[in-house]
Amino acid sequence: MPHPGWQNFGFDGIGTNWEISTPEPLDPGLRSRVLAEVERYDSIWSRFRGNSLVTRIAAQPGQFDLPAESAGLAALYRVLYTLSDGAMTPLIGESLEQLGYDPGYSLRPRGAAAPPPAWDDVLEWCGTSLTAHAPLVLDIGAAGKGRLVDLLADMLRDHGITDFFIDASGDLLNNGEQPVTVGLEHPYDASKAIGAVSLGPGALCASASNRRAWGDGLHHVLDGTTGTPVRTVVAAWAMAGTAMEADALATALFLVPAQVLERQFRFSWLKVFSNGSAEYSAEFEGALFT
Amino acid sequence: MAGLSLAGTVAGCAPSAQETPSAASETAAPGSSALASSGAEGSGASYKDGTYTADGTYKSPNGTETVGVQLTLASGKVSAVDITQHPSNPNTRKFQGEFAGGIAEQVVGKSLDEIKVSKIAGSSLTSGGFNQAVEAIKTQAR
Repeated sequence: MPHPGWQNFGFDGIGTNWEISTPEPLDPGLRSRVLAEVERYDSIWSRFRGNSLVTRIAAQPGQFDLPAESAGLAALYRVLYTLSDGAMTPLIGESLEQLGYDPGYSLRPRGAAAPPPAWDDVLEWCGTSLTAHAPLVLDIGAAGKGRLVDLLADMLRDHGITDFFIDASGDLLNNGEQPVTVGLEHPYDASKAIGAVSLGPGALCASASNRRAWGDGLHHVLDGTTGTPVRTVVAAWAMAGTAMEADALATALFLVPAQVLERQFRFSWLKVFSNGSAEYSAEFEGALFT
Repeated sequence: MAGLSLAGTVAGCAPSAQETPSAASETAAPGSSALASSGAEGSGASYKDGTYTADGTYKSPNGTETVGVQLTLASGKVSAVDITQHPSNPNTRKFQGEFAGGIAEQVVGKSLDEIKVSKIAGSSLTSGGFNQAVEAIKTQAR
């Protein structure tokens, strides 16, 4: 827990572990609503559920009405798609499945890596409306968890809870004045940290190629222009005002020079390369162990 | 903060993919480097007034770097020269002061037992299904 004496509410959701920490325990009614919201979100966006909306989009092209959280995701993905010249794309699902990261976890490549179709060729995604002109595998994995963190944070705030900390298995949101010291997980050894930062109000999210990896050079951070895993960057962290932005930017750092992202986003960042070197913005100065 | 940084782009839901806002400042005018060397002393009206930009490359100890030159011509004379360096190499960026951050040659890990942190920012734990599938493949590969 982030502060001594706080209470944790832990649960499983969207394929990983969650922990919401508060000074006082969350009441049972609110806990139920949190779990219901996680379930609702998963039933829309999961690429791994046979009955999700995303799965239905993959099966049958057409126009779909999405829930309210779609608007922020669509806008953010569009900006990052543009800044990355197509390397970061919500259509990456098809390339992930090609390499074996499919709903059945076959984890066996079907063939050579392949880039997904260009956004404007197959997809109109605007606000809460999505039109698929072809069967397409939407994958919002780069920002989806952060978006859910923000949705849960909104729910807690709506219930008058002002002091809380959400840990979505390594993606963090501190909704409190008191900073929390956070270790930065070593990209090759989860029992170690490569540094520590103080997280004030805001979100800190990470993206790394270590855990969702399944074979020779195969992991889940793909370049949308080639459909192949990114090899030069092994881990990245982003601090931003919302968890959705921090989450998405942590992945974008694999694909776009940080200086390009800085023109569009207010955030801080740390990037670790495969040769063990690191590059970081001013806010991460002094964070790395030496 | 999210609204702030996205504000300029939310309206355009499905524009073309080539809206890259970053490209504007680096437009190269072909031939302007020749102009810089031969037309600099204002020998007449053979060049139109205006601002010209071009990129050039040079070798540094850090590798190949890029430098941008912007030249302003007024009444056929060079009225301003502006050099912008946009090197790709983080060492050079830091040296040039353009890079308000830092670099580390080699990251060092410390055991979580040694450091006092209550939270870890890192990659997500993966679902049971994924882990089981990885284990199954490892077993078959033996």
